[in-house]
Amino acid sequence: MRFERHRTFTFLGLLISLLILLVISFAASAEVGQKLFAEKKIVLQISDRDPLKQALVLNVANNLLQHYGPDQIEVEIVAFASGLRLLFKDNVNSDRIQSLTDNGVQFSACANTLRSMSRKLGETPALNPHAVMVSAGVLRIVELIDQGYVLVKP
Amino acid sequence: MLAGSGPALAVNWLKMQGTEPPGVSAQSQVWGFIQPEYQATTGTKLKAGSWRGQNTAANMTRPDFRSESGFNIIRARIGVRGTGFPLDSNVNYFLLAEFGNNGITRQGGGSVKLTDASITLNHIKGMRVRIGQFKIPGSEEGLQAIHVLDYINFTSGANQLLLERFFDGDGSTGKTSADDINKPNGPVGAFRDVGIQLFDWFYTENWEHSYAIMVGNGNGITRGDNDGKRELYLYWASELLLPGATPFPSAAHLAPPVWSADHHGPRGARYHTWKLFGWYQDGKRTLIKENAGEYDRTRYGIGTTLRRGKVRAAAEYFRADGMIFSGTDGGAVPGAESNAGGEFADVNVMTNGKANSAYLDFGYLLHPKLELDIRYDVLNRNTNISEEERIYQTLTLGVQYFFNKMSRVLFNYAFRDARAPNAATDADVNQILESMDDRISAQLLVIF
Repeated sequence: MRFERHRTFTFLGLLISLLILLVISFAASAEVGQKLFAEKKIVLQISDRDPLKQALVLNVANNLLQHYGPDQIEVEIVAFASGLRLLFKDNVNSDRIQSLTDNGVQFSACANTLRSMSRKLGETPALNPHAVMVSAGVLRIVELIDQGYVLVKP
Repeated sequence: MLAGSGPALAVNWLKMQGTEPPGVSAQSQVWGFIQPEYQATTGTKLKAGSWRGQNTAANMTRPDFRSESGFNIIRARIGVRGTGFPLDSNVNYFLLAEFGNNGITRQGGGSVKLTDASITLNHIKGMRVRIGQFKIPGSEEGLQAIHVLDYINFTSGANQLLLERFFDGDGSTGKTSADDINKPNGPVGAFRDVGIQLFDWFYTENWEHSYAIMVGNGNGITRGDNDGKRELYLYWASELLLPGATPFPSAAHLAPPVWSADHHGPRGARYHTWKLFGWYQDGKRTLIKENAGEYDRTRYGIGTTLRRGKVRAAAEYFRADGMIFSGTDGGAVPGAESNAGGEFADVNVMTNGKANSAYLDFGYLLHPKLELDIRYDVLNRNTNISEEERIYQTLTLGVQYFFNKMSRVLFNYAFRDARAPNAATDADVNQILESMDDRISAQLLVIF
């Protein structure tokens, strides 16, 4: 009897530990804004100044969301070099950025580029409040690829 | 300049022509357009007067008045616009030159003229500053981009009262030499001036409100002031954004895109809105030859435009006080010698005349590539000078076919009528006015 209770407790303990580990692993992998049930993960790069590219990257993000559904896909747009203009606060596309952010798209802004632009401009340009700073845009892309993201550069 | 794309947008010409969309503008973007055309009348000669039997000025093709029909490159413009320094959207520039054959290039020497050269500073919220040579804030016909005009020719009111010609005299004394006739002393004003403009726009609910205050030389383009007197321009527009309509693809695609940095509204030159506007301009003109002196020149008007689905409509009424362009002696071509010899046709200006004008304009998109247009306009010139009063009425029928977003062809037929209401029907003046033919016009437009 005592041996059976001990086995029961051990089994329960293992089960609970397993559950805790499961929760922790979910929590660890779930960064801010990450969708737990996302089947696809896409990182979109915007790194040039062409205004058509700005519209294109937003269009691609929107198309992905529409096709897969906002909960089934993880999309992050990484802006660096001249592409960081997309995330300037006064950018004409700020409406669309707001809309995409509301649907879970993350906009990452390269801090290296921002520093470089600040030197050229003489002041730090104001960024869209939804922009998330990352130390370097390229590094962020590499990091995301390591996490299983597919890189698309429209 | 980028072709219009996406939903058609509000016709805020101040925004479209003076500023660049922030965050997306190129450092420099080359653009332009070409408008070859054909115009023709039946070439009816003058039926009465000292130039009877000679060419009727109103029946001759612009800008040379040498033929009753012909092809012409009426406009060929190339320009560049942008932000200069792409990281800073607060400084914009706009440069445009005219290579076509028209009243801008034919007068004042040379064959190429600068039509626009301006810098806009967007640093102060609520008050943008534009400096240089650019379109004056005023009548819709004048302020809108010429390459989105739905007709080939302006209304009589716009052509005679607003598209200013500048003179040294008023043409009141007879000339004994063709070289001495009163004629424009430089390019037509092209609805532009050199000066400084404060302007901006803001939103309340679904309304976009715009204002502009401009001070200029009042002496036309590509030259400085001539009298030390400034011209004042005032403008206000309120535009209701109408939701839900599909893009109006007529000439919308032919207009440059307009940014919408304020989280409101669409982009483009054609959109679904109802606009109310009013404008006022006041200045002085100085004549140095016959009837030398300083004269007031005032223009003011109100109007409305509506664009909704397949339909567009516009109406405007404006008045003019002083410096009324009043055609040529006997209706003849400027500089033509009278039949009796020794007298040469002057261009006339009624320095103290008054006038008023109005138009109604409708367009219907029959097919995504085909638009039908109809416009009625009336000009009542020199209303305060009985013997000089003239009434011009024009009914223009038009068709526009859009090859693509950047090109279209227009066909217009204008039924034209003019009379002197205070003279007998068979008086010389009315016979001369009766000499004016209807006019057929065709124009091709390509934007690049």
